[in-house]
Amino acid sequence: MAKEIFMPKLSSTMEVGTLLQWFKEEGDSVDIGEPLFEIMTDKINIEVESYEEGILLKKYFEEDDEVPINHVVGYIGEAGEKVPDTPPGESGAAPQEDAEDTAAEAEPQQRAEAQSEAAPASQDHHLSDEKIRATPAARRVSREESVSLTDVSGSGPNGRIHQGDVMAFVSSRSSTKATPLAKKVAEGEGVNLQEVKGTGSHGKIYRADVEAAGESTQTSAATGGKRVKMDGIRKVVAQRMLQSKTTAPHVTLTTEVDMTEAISMRKQLLGPIEQQTGFRVSYTEIILKAVAYSLTRHPNINVSLEGNEIVYKDEINLGLAVAVDNGLIVPVVRHADQKGLSALTAECKRLGKAARDSKVKPEEMAGGTFTVSNLGMYAIDAFTPVINQPESSILGVGRINEKPVGVNGDIVLRPMMVLSLSFDHRVIDGAPAAAFLTELKETLEQPFKLLV
Amino acid sequence: MRELTYLEAVREAMSQEMRQNEDVFILGEDIGVYGGAFGVTRNMIEEFGPERIRNTPISEAAISGTAVGAALTGMRPILELQFSDFITIAMDNMVNQAAKIRYMYGGKGKVPMVLRTPAGSGTGAAAQHSQSLEAWMTHVPGLKVVQPSTAYDAKGLLKAAMDDDNPVIFYEHKLCYKTSSEVPEELYSIPLGKADIKREGKDVTIVATAIMVHKSLEAAEALEKEGISAEVIDPRTLVPLDTDTIIQSVKKTSRLVVVHEAVKRGGFGGEIASTIAESEAFDYLDAPIKRLGGKAVPIPYNPELEKSAIPSVNEIVAAVKETLNR
Repeated sequence: MAKEIFMPKLSSTMEVGTLLQWFKEEGDSVDIGEPLFEIMTDKINIEVESYEEGILLKKYFEEDDEVPINHVVGYIGEAGEKVPDTPPGESGAAPQEDAEDTAAEAEPQQRAEAQSEAAPASQDHHLSDEKIRATPAARRVSREESVSLTDVSGSGPNGRIHQGDVMAFVSSRSSTKATPLAKKVAEGEGVNLQEVKGTGSHGKIYRADVEAAGESTQTSAATGGKRVKMDGIRKVVAQRMLQSKTTAPHVTLTTEVDMTEAISMRKQLLGPIEQQTGFRVSYTEIILKAVAYSLTRHPNINVSLEGNEIVYKDEINLGLAVAVDNGLIVPVVRHADQKGLSALTAECKRLGKAARDSKVKPEEMAGGTFTVSNLGMYAIDAFTPVINQPESSILGVGRINEKPVGVNGDIVLRPMMVLSLSFDHRVIDGAPAAAFLTELKETLEQPFKLLV
Repeated sequence: MRELTYLEAVREAMSQEMRQNEDVFILGEDIGVYGGAFGVTRNMIEEFGPERIRNTPISEAAISGTAVGAALTGMRPILELQFSDFITIAMDNMVNQAAKIRYMYGGKGKVPMVLRTPAGSGTGAAAQHSQSLEAWMTHVPGLKVVQPSTAYDAKGLLKAAMDDDNPVIFYEHKLCYKTSSEVPEELYSIPLGKADIKREGKDVTIVATAIMVHKSLEAAEALEKEGISAEVIDPRTLVPLDTDTIIQSVKKTSRLVVVHEAVKRGGFGGEIASTIAESEAFDYLDAPIKRLGGKAVPIPYNPELEKSAIPSVNEIVAAVKETLNR
């Protein structure tokens, strides 16, 4: 029988995914593990692979549609099998659970409905045991509006959800309803949908409405320019940076590192590491290695503030800030202190490529304890990085630049590099931060310390 | 248009029908010179004579048996029971004979009779003269059950009942007898199985029968002052039941309160509630269906206790508000 394809939940904060593209058409055959479609979450773009083998029977959503997690996106089954014409509402089962569930023989529609009645709370088991109290009318409206009842709070006795509650939720969720075409045109023309008056039922916005609004904006707005709605990664970066800057008192220390010895070490290690891993070791990996080494000596930097408690992390997991097309993502190198330069190099290259290809897995971005942001490939000497919370400090790395410096009374040219350490002054004071940065500087200037 | 009381409307329907159809006659206790227990047949004996307004001995079994037999021979008897409670004595004839004969004889015999009888409480007639037992009869295939609430409906529905070739139980609520409404002079028929929306509304549907229609309308007036718009539907006939009208109304209002005087337990309200729960209107319900019915006690003699044994206007208002969570 036909199996549902669900919008997966890829992180604890994920509520919806934007369908970027389908790799299959209705009627195409699909193998287990084959990419079915690509989605954009608030953190990443990722390809969703099939858990089933069969024919793609139905696609309910088009590109650019936002789909709540655990909603049925389509069906896979045998050719000619009947599936519902409309997506069967919110569903309770996580995709993996469902793939294993072969006992249920009910029709998909009935099953999906049964799930929505019995366990709409998805993967949280303690929640799935609780039956949501909602009137039949509320359930009908939630199906029609594709609202998960778990998101709606009920105003009735014992929290029973009424249809009015669902309708209030719908109107609060999307004050702007627009056709996919209208959304596309709005994006292309830089029209803010919030400001467009829809002529459709319940104010639904059509293309003509967007075009009309676009014309009036062009005549009234003094400055033109393309407007693009912030969404996906861009939106998250914006929120997190603002949140970090407004909650954590940032203090930044800078120091200059003489990279002579590090450069020399890199030259000597280039060949052996490339032979071993197929990758050329870069300064980034050497800096990561030195950071991990220094953190083992300064555990009071490898901390996090959780509520009222300072958590001293027992792992050293280094985030590596990587610029991608529409934002910034930070894959994490786990147990960096336990990895040699070869392993670090291989891991960094792999994560960097995955990041640029939007293929980093959610779990590869979680659990960082300290972040390194390297702008050394640009003509940047120094900058003040913003802490990647819940971490408490971040290292900014500038370019290596030959400068005249004084050495034993002589002015000589040395390859110098500025390190900036931003830290959260709520949990880390200036002196320990300075001590850590000093240790890091000395480690990079005498990199053989890394052997100790 | 002239106004008639419910009682006069029933009498007028019978008189007009008897003038145009010689097969129609009435039989019952004290219906002749005395004019019946409530005066419905008063003066009819003067126009139609004792042959067609037939006084009977005090035996509901005998009267009903006679009516069934007369109907089988082609007559169209109207049987009046003094109180609907006495239907227990006529039960075998109504349930085992009248209801079954047409079916069991493959349509070769038919039982075109009407059993008219006053039902309900409110007259201080105590437990054996105040019951509402209509749900019993609705359970029996082969019987039609009518419960008019207004004079206009009573005349039109009685005409339809008299025209029907099947046995019809026609419940007249004692307290409705004195209510009046505009009633056309000519004889007209209201089809059985067609509910009437007594008042339009949008927030809640109240389905009420007999005297509870009037109480529900009063409750709806009170509710309107609080901004609550109640739709009041009178099914008028329980068998056949106009489910469409009720379903459409519930789809519109999303809430249902069913009110009847009969004891709630096992009452017809449960049938209406189940009908909605099984129908497409289920997906439109935004609150549990509420049933209001009489308490499970024999109707008391004491007038205050008698009143409190059945739903009051205030209770209907409260039930509606509970359904609306206000």
